[in-house]
This record gives sequence, structure tokens and C-alpha cells, in this order.
Amino acid sequence: MAIDVNRGAQSPVGPSAFSKPGAREARILSMGGGKGGVGKTFMTANLALALARMGLRVVAVDADLEGANLHTCLGVRTPRNSLADFVAQREDDLVKLLVPTHHPNLQIIAGTHANLAEAQPGHLRRVSLMRALRKLPADIVLLDLGAGSHAAVLDYFLVADDGLLVVQPEPTSVENAYTFLRAAFYRRLRLAMVGHDVRSLVSQAMDQRNERGIRTPFDLLREIELIDPLEGRRFAETMRRFRPRIIINEVRTAEDVKLGFAISSVCRKYFGIEVDYLGYVNFDEAARQSVAARTPIIESREGSDAAIYLQRIAKKLAGASNGGEPVMDTVDAST
Amino acid sequence: MNGDGVDIGDRPLTQDLKALPDQDHYEVLEIGRNADSEEIERAYALTRAAYSSEGLAVYSVYDEQDTSAIRDRVEEAFRVLSNADTRRAYDEKVAEPEGPISAGVQTPPSPLTNPREETLLEAGLLDVESIGNPESDIEEESGDFDGAKLRRARLRRGFELEQIADITKIGAAHLRRIEDEEFADLPANVYVRGFVTAYATTIGLEPERVVAGYMARVEAARAQPRSRFRYRS
Repeated sequence: MAIDVNRGAQSPVGPSAFSKPGAREARILSMGGGKGGVGKTFMTANLALALARMGLRVVAVDADLEGANLHTCLGVRTPRNSLADFVAQREDDLVKLLVPTHHPNLQIIAGTHANLAEAQPGHLRRVSLMRALRKLPADIVLLDLGAGSHAAVLDYFLVADDGLLVVQPEPTSVENAYTFLRAAFYRRLRLAMVGHDVRSLVSQAMDQRNERGIRTPFDLLREIELIDPLEGRRFAETMRRFRPRIIINEVRTAEDVKLGFAISSVCRKYFGIEVDYLGYVNFDEAARQSVAARTPIIESREGSDAAIYLQRIAKKLAGASNGGEPVMDTVDAST
Repeated sequence: MNGDGVDIGDRPLTQDLKALPDQDHYEVLEIGRNADSEEIERAYALTRAAYSSEGLAVYSVYDEQDTSAIRDRVEEAFRVLSNADTRRAYDEKVAEPEGPISAGVQTPPSPLTNPREETLLEAGLLDVESIGNPESDIEEESGDFDGAKLRRARLRRGFELEQIADITKIGAAHLRRIEDEEFADLPANVYVRGFVTAYATTIGLEPERVVAGYMARVEAARAQPRSRFRYRS
């Protein structure tokens, strides 16, 4: 497969051939969250089904090659072929990896059978994966990301039209969500910068204990403006365009519901980014049982609170993208 | 320096975000300039809760000194904006001709297009104070209450079943059966009556409006022999 990385793009934040998808390109949503066990796969399975039920053609992709189980949540037996075949270059045609579910409009690409030694695709393979995902015969491609904040996960998150973050109302989950956001945000910013000096400044700032005392993106912006006002402008523009969306999972109280607003406020005031609070799903013992029963809760307990909230989120997702910009076409191959 | 060749795209983006020291009172509370007094109060309650010293969202990002500084700004913003006179004086003070940077800023969204308000509305939290004050006047559907209507009334008020269970000491499973009308798995009528009364009181419904209609449904269902046996798979 030809790889055409748009190196040194003149204006990384401007529109490009790939950030303005043609009418038939699939919209990509990524489900991340930093921490394991917060409900990414549960959320992916249910939102994928909810979107499919709304009449959209949906492909749910298990990009968590190290802990693949999306297929199980959707009641699909371990498929013979999976994304691992694409990553290992045994198969270049993603369409051949599609597996039907018993739900109309919903197909999956599983993440099983990965040779864990090669579970992380190299950068170029990630780029071609992203291109191929957009070309799938679907309206929406929903990527279930693994835990952690390593480069591949961050890129899947950044390249998506919408990066979704699942957070539980627990200190550990909130903390990991910030770690993840921060890592993704700085990666995005660094990729947007053209000049070498400015890039290395961003890299320095990624270390929170940097010597220059740069604590927040606002500090960094000031430093960059001193070096090069045009890069500063580009930086500010990138900040504006980085618009992840959060979902609070396992909400038990009204306080938990408000956590979403609090996180979004902190993101504004501290990181200078707009985080859209997409919605919340209440804690429900049946949610855990639904995973065991290998049936999404919106199917097994239709009409339950959790199902109602999940469908509400799906409706919002189907409504519109949040204005963020995909990024992979601006990624240069050296990273 | 606006518009020097940088494409903003065709989707509306929010105005430039500013670091806290550069934010005005409206930005501190994250509201539009046209916010009415209710919106200001809600925003104040939310922001104050977010930056409280036990706030789950802040502790891993800010230290106590930071949050305390933010709280001071929030208090100051609310003090100025919650009073019509001080607000007007403040608005006049900051209303100098807009510079080129803010020239492209859209007018503030109306309350109902504000995403925060929308989410609050859906969550039944639009009136933040109503969580602690179930007396507040929420427009209710007419007619007798069945399980589904109880659920809707509850969701509209922003209650989770677990919260009601905590308050009433009635198991969440029973509460759920009341909503699902799984009468066969509920105890004797006298208990169900007590449960429904407590449920209604907790979410701020007058029990008189709820209990009789609901109990009529329970009794009717239980009068039919077949509904006594419900097979659970």
C-alpha cells in the first residue's frame, strides 16, 4: 500500500486533502481513557449498537490488540481474522477483516490473535491503517483503544474526528484521564509546530519538571510567541481545535454527574482546551452482567437508565462532530 | 493579528481561551455576557463545587494554592455579577471598543444552545438547587402514575435509584421493580405502598398524587392469577 505522508505541510492546522473527507468517507470516533477498566469497551459496544440502530452503518474496531475483547461484548465468537493481520501486514484489505454481528448495520474488526511482540504497529502502518479505516464502507468507525498513553494510542485518539474519553468518578481514573489528555495534547501541539526550535521547546515542556518553568500550555504559548509569532498563532489555533469529549461512566450521585463539568472547566482553565461533556452513564450492576452475558446493555436491558443514557450519548454523537480536526495527515514520519 | 492566512474552518469554534489571570468575570464563571441571574447562580454553584478543596477534578492538576486562588476569582466574579448595579458598572468598565483579536468572536450563545445548560437540563440538574430542595416546581405530566412515569419524574429531577435507596433504606432492586412494574417480585401491598410513598417523597412528588393510582395498578395486576407467577430467566 502506498504511503504518502504529507511531510512538512505548509500549514498543519489548515485544511488538507484528508481532513476534509469526501462525502463517502467514514467518520472516525476513538474511545480512549488512559486507565484500564473504566468501561471503554462497554461504551464502544453499546454506542456502536445504538448508532447502528439509528440506521447508520457502523464498524466497531478493536484497536486494543493487547487486550482484545470487543467481539465478546458484542456476542461475536473469536474471529479467525483480526486487525492484527493488518498490523502484521498479512492482510492489506481491511474489508476482508470485517466480521458481521447479529445486529443489522453493525460489523466489527476484532483485535484478536495478535502476536504481542508486534502488537504496536509502526508509525507508517498506523498512517495507512487510518487511511484504510476512513475508506471502509461505513458511516461511522468506532475505535476501541487500549489503556495507557503510548504513541499508537495517542495517534489513534488524535486522528479521529472525535476523540472520546471515558472517565469514572474515581481519583485514579480522573488522574489518568488528565495524564492521557496532556500527553495527547502535547503530541498534537508538537506535530503542529514546524520550526525545529519551537518543536524542541514543546518537547521540553512535555516534561512537567522542565527547567524553564513552563507549567501550562499558556506558559508555553508565551514562550513560543517570543521565538516566532507565526508559530504562536499556529499553536493557539491548535489549542482551539483540540476538542476531546468526555463521558462519565458509572455515575452514582448528582455530584458524579457534575464531575464532567468540573473536568471540562479544569481543562479550560488549566490546559486552555475546550472539552465537551458528552454525557454520563449511571452505575448499573446489569452493565457488568451484560459484559458477562456478551450482550450490550442497550439490548439486554432496553429501557434501563443506563440504556437510556447510552442512547442519549449516541444521539449526540450522531448529531455532529465537535469541530476538532483529524491530524494524521500532518504527522511526519520521524516521530 | 486576526486572520493572517490561518483557516478557521467552517465549523464555529469558541473564542480564544485565556489563562486565568487574563479572564474576565464572565470567563471565570464560563458564561456568556448575556447570562441571566439564574444562569449566573448555576454557573457559580458548579464552578465553586468544581474547585472546592475536595474536588475530584482538580486535585491531580492544581495544588491547594492554585485552587484557592481560583476560588477567590470565582467568589469575586459572582459578587460582582450577581448584583445588578455592580454588574452594570463592571460591564461599562470593560466595554471599551473591541480590539481586532476579539472582533471575530461570536455573540454569546443563548441559554438553550449552551451545551452546559443542555446537559444540565437532560440530567434534571438545570435547577441545581432543586437537588437539595425537592419542593421545587417541576412541570409534571397529568394522570395516574405508573412505573414508567415514576421513572421519568425521577430522571427529570436528577435522581439515581441508588440515591433514593440510600435515603429511604429501601433496596434499589425493589425500587427498580416498582419502576419496571415487576409486581410478582415485590412484597405484600402494604410494603409496596410504603415504598412508593417514600420514593415519591424523596424525589419531591406529593405522595397523595402518586400512591393511589400506582397501588390500583398493583392490585389489579395481582388480582389476575397469571401475573403471580413470573418466570425469570
